[in-house]
Amino acid sequence: MKTLLSSFLLALLVAFIVALSLSLGAVSLSFEQILSGFDASSEFYFTIHEYRLPRSILAILVGGMMALSGALVQGVIRNPLASPDVLGVSQGAGLAAVILMTIFPSVSIFWLPWAALSGGIIAALFLWFLCGSHSGAIKLAITGVAMAALYSSAVDFLMLTKPLEVNNALLWLTGSLWGRGWNQITMLLPWLVLIPFAFSLAKRLNLIGLGDDVATSLGTSISMTRLWALTIAVGLTASCVSICGPIGFLGLIAPHLARRLVGGRHQVLLPCTMLVGMVILLLADLVARIINPPIELSAGIMTAIIGAPYFLWLLFKVR
Amino acid sequence: MKNVLKHLTILLLVCFSAFSHAITIKDSKGSFTIKETPKRIVVLEYSFVDALAIVGISPVGIADDKDKERIIKPIRDIIDDWQSVGTRSQPSLETISSLKPDLIIADMDRHEGIYKDLQKIAPTLILPSRRETYTRLLEASAIIGKVVNKDQEMQTRLAQHKNTMAEYAQQLPKGIEVQFGIALENYISLHPGKSYSGTVIQALGMMTPDSIKDQKASVRSGLEQLLSINPKHFIIGQYNDNNILKVWQNEFLWNLLSAVKSKQIYFMDDPNVWSRARGIIAAEIIAQDLIRLLNQPK
Repeated sequence: MKTLLSSFLLALLVAFIVALSLSLGAVSLSFEQILSGFDASSEFYFTIHEYRLPRSILAILVGGMMALSGALVQGVIRNPLASPDVLGVSQGAGLAAVILMTIFPSVSIFWLPWAALSGGIIAALFLWFLCGSHSGAIKLAITGVAMAALYSSAVDFLMLTKPLEVNNALLWLTGSLWGRGWNQITMLLPWLVLIPFAFSLAKRLNLIGLGDDVATSLGTSISMTRLWALTIAVGLTASCVSICGPIGFLGLIAPHLARRLVGGRHQVLLPCTMLVGMVILLLADLVARIINPPIELSAGIMTAIIGAPYFLWLLFKVR
Repeated sequence: MKNVLKHLTILLLVCFSAFSHAITIKDSKGSFTIKETPKRIVVLEYSFVDALAIVGISPVGIADDKDKERIIKPIRDIIDDWQSVGTRSQPSLETISSLKPDLIIADMDRHEGIYKDLQKIAPTLILPSRRETYTRLLEASAIIGKVVNKDQEMQTRLAQHKNTMAEYAQQLPKGIEVQFGIALENYISLHPGKSYSGTVIQALGMMTPDSIKDQKASVRSGLEQLLSINPKHFIIGQYNDNNILKVWQNEFLWNLLSAVKSKQIYFMDDPNVWSRARGIIAAEIIAQDLIRLLNQPK
């Protein structure tokens, strides 16, 4: 009952922040003006239909997908500090994007999401190649973190040696919803297919939470579940990062908050995590947009401001 | 059939243009057409403000990073007040849209990614500005002149600018080597041979150091690299007090720089003219600065 109420309230909160996002910004709009914004002849058509609405939808998609990906990774690695970052996917995507921006600056910006997507997937395949499908969670996490560090240092190297292109690259690396619209949403849509597959893993993730031995004796194939969960997490993260850049801490904190609200049963946890991720990213983007208009900050800066202290707190608590 | 249609449309367009001053030019993304003379212009880089100001047009919105001082004073004095549309790197599209512009001038380097969105708001002219040379910026200004239907004024002003620069060049020593750089917290950012200030220096009949003559925009340099480039005349932008020169000036290598030895080192404190403005007015002020600095009695 409590979980039902929590999820309902979360969904309500999402709707409320979407309404706020549509109404607030450099120009504040009334309810009637928002409605008129859906009519192509209205003077608010661009603001509502081409700007605030697609951005809110994108925040919902990316927030939900990144959070779900975080919950899957935490579910199979069984470590509260785990997040999609420990797979090195965002860093691999970041490296590919920075390579494109610094070494081939004349290439059209159209290719950026595709480069980032392939970078993320290649990073995941490489991790799989290094670890194989039968290695333990800890080995996977440590290898992933090491690879992530390697990619990040390659990014730093590129930015130090090619200072010209640094501004664009830095902007992309903070993760932002600015300048994204319907096009980017259509690019994300096919990846939504992964969500039902993720939900279908819920029961097996619950068993894995009891420990590898118990899960095996109850008939769950650990390595298969892990492979599936991580593959889905990689797909979700890589697609989101390719569109918005690596939005930090989202995949880490959303599952934690959701766990506090509804507990650890994955049947409830996974959808709730998505709702929490949506709330966080919608709020981060809204604040980034209205804190000092017309200056647009990056949503990634906002999630980092909330996320970094939370991460530290977690670190101390776990120890 | 398709061809006939195409020709018909072109014919129609030509007829139409006779009535409405339609103008088609080539910008960084291909062909750009505007049907009427734009009245409400939003610009997303400083050099475009310069181009409008010199033909007496005031933009309604500027991506001025929410700091009006960033538009250099000679330009601020010419144009009317404007509304800020945010940063140059991430301009606020909803603010731009709320200004109901009939022309947006965007920078190919910064704004290619939002070009399609800008087009949904208003016809968008996309031209080179950031990391471009003085010559390319002059060409961009000429294009802007055509689009805002002030071709004549722009050509006159550009010709006048050329004469002014030639006169300034007369007052400057020929062929000497001048380097401009900005002192930052950990290093100096040198503006090399293919940067805006580098190309202005060359246009005034002087030289920039040979070793970095083909680099664009900025070269990050430590003290040792600086010594190997070793510019004869060195102009340094010191935009805040907390910069690397504080450290370098106490180091042995600093005194080996030929500009330091011969006291041909000069300091500037306004970041906007030399680094950010990248325009025609800015080029003239840079020339005046150079005359003042390089002709000082030693």
